[in-house]
Amino acid sequence: MSEFDAALGGFLISALRSSTPLLWVLLGEILTQRVAVVNLGVEGQMLAGALAGFAATLATGNPWIGLIAGVAAGMALSSLHGLLCVGLKANPFASGLAVWMLGFGLSSFYGIPFVGQKINGFKSMPLGFLERIPVIGTLVTQITPTVAMGILASPLLGWWLYRTRTGLSFRAVGESLSSAKALGLKTAWVQVMGIMAGGAFSGMGGAALSVDYTRNWVEGMTQGRGLVAVGLVIVARWNPYLAIPAALLFGGAEALTLRMQTSGVPISSHLLHTLPYLASLAVLVLSYSRANKEGGTPAGLSAVFSQSQ
Amino acid sequence: MIVPLIKEPPKPAALFKQPFRIPGLTVIAAALGFLLLGSIFFLMVGQPPVATFWAMIKGAFGDGYSLSETLVKTAPILLCGIAAALPARLGLISVGGEGQLYFGALFGTGLVLAIPGAPMYAMLPLMLAASAAGGALWALIPAFLKARMNVNETITTLLLNYVASLFVDFLVYGPWKDPNNLGWPATINFPAAAKLPALFGTRAHIGLIFGLIAAVALYVLTARTRWGTCLRLLRSNRRVAEGIGLSYGRQAILVVCLGGMLAGLAGICETSAIQGRLQSGISNGMGFSGFLVAWMAGGDFLRIIPLSLLLGGLLASGDSLQLFAGLPSSAALVLQGVLFASVLAAGSLKARKGGDRV
Repeated sequence: MSEFDAALGGFLISALRSSTPLLWVLLGEILTQRVAVVNLGVEGQMLAGALAGFAATLATGNPWIGLIAGVAAGMALSSLHGLLCVGLKANPFASGLAVWMLGFGLSSFYGIPFVGQKINGFKSMPLGFLERIPVIGTLVTQITPTVAMGILASPLLGWWLYRTRTGLSFRAVGESLSSAKALGLKTAWVQVMGIMAGGAFSGMGGAALSVDYTRNWVEGMTQGRGLVAVGLVIVARWNPYLAIPAALLFGGAEALTLRMQTSGVPISSHLLHTLPYLASLAVLVLSYSRANKEGGTPAGLSAVFSQSQ
Repeated sequence: MIVPLIKEPPKPAALFKQPFRIPGLTVIAAALGFLLLGSIFFLMVGQPPVATFWAMIKGAFGDGYSLSETLVKTAPILLCGIAAALPARLGLISVGGEGQLYFGALFGTGLVLAIPGAPMYAMLPLMLAASAAGGALWALIPAFLKARMNVNETITTLLLNYVASLFVDFLVYGPWKDPNNLGWPATINFPAAAKLPALFGTRAHIGLIFGLIAAVALYVLTARTRWGTCLRLLRSNRRVAEGIGLSYGRQAILVVCLGGMLAGLAGICETSAIQGRLQSGISNGMGFSGFLVAWMAGGDFLRIIPLSLLLGGLLASGDSLQLFAGLPSSAALVLQGVLFASVLAAGSLKARKGGDRV
């Protein structure tokens, strides 16, 4: 295998791996925003998922149990968002911030004994002949279960959203709450489902981060990935099929940052670390001007976004 | 078919709509919710709720020292609270207090490092002006994006918070690091001329006075002047307001940047009066606490003052929780989240009863 192949494969895989936690959260937030609810609390849900996943993996030695624990933690926190903004009709932005504060506080509080511990994560999968193909070989041998599942989840969710009856009910609620209600849909129930799905996916994203990617727990370790995901939903046009390229944007910038750091580029690592945020912000702004022109935003959601005007 | 000439204007949001206009019930409901959920949290971690809450109150307001620590925390929360409440006058949800605070600290420190030998009468005003400019500059980015391209300000302010704190890290780990610090990432200690005066010989500092002046001034300005009327009109009916020649974009930039100035001041006050030098992680979530205060106050500038004191007490009592109950200080963060959730829940109960939900 040539050195170039190895380098290219290496970069692709590191981009993919650092995108994966974000991809999960992004998919979750797409589902939530599809039912016309914005959830900034995904940041806190991700932290809760990361801690629960790490703790469960450490206790049982089984990373799969860690992922399940992460999903459960994310759902537990998102149920608060459902209660506040669907049940009590509180402002979704404020409710999301409250969920974020709680998730951050609780994960810092309960995470103290886990700081500095290490886990092994997943065992690598034997793939036989695939390993010998250039570029792709490097790729597949280093793909971890959360990466593979994330790549599968994106088209599956796309199919579900556009091709099934329940997916249609999500889209109907997102377009117009009153029409969906007139059609006989239980809109509040659908919205809660959307929020809980977002909770499950963001908890999964957090667990993917701590169990599979960093394999440790650090207070506030998500570093805004959840908030970036809320922004990237617009870039992905609320479309699960487009979630992977949108997530790769942040992940690619992060992988590039790490690559530049290790190859000794004389730029401060702190400055380099602003790159993923600035890249996401730039694309967000560009998508906004496109979305303003062309539409594509769930109509009920744009009401949520513009209610402050 | 008759086509209406003016389409139904968008209804003003229920955001910051003074959830406490009728104090009694809502406040009691929020307080009860907070005490109940807080007690559940204390029971979960094996602490007696009543005794722990009592220890927190004593830890926040019990004696001179704890009161001074509470005031130390109150000052940046008050300033950041106003920084969130002013944009809310236009219905904007700006959560950028954190980043603006960092940028204010960065600009103010930059000035101190540029003219370290300046006398106090020149140093302090210039330092404060630089920090206000820094905060305003950082606020200008989301404000401009909102005004010109209608990019949601909540998301941009939140993302820019991370960028701002990374810029500060870059400087204190890199070019501004004091080599005598033996690896500790911080600038040199500020010269005596750059130390903001303390109040009554405590650690509480002049930032508190700035916050009080700003709160009262903005209360008067928004209640009594044409500018205040203009903001109210733009918020309640943007189309009509723009029809009579008011500019939403210009006012949005103005309120967000004015808020940024105040948050920037909070940053330099924290740096100069409390830490004595610029270092990593100066804020510790003050911007978010400020946002919570602004929300609880329903955007009312005068109510922000006592509520900041309350939240300052909550955060300061985190230390006493550590002493009394052996709980890590992040317990105060959990309680802050519990408080926010209780306030939101109580606020919507009232709105439902009053029927003025939008």
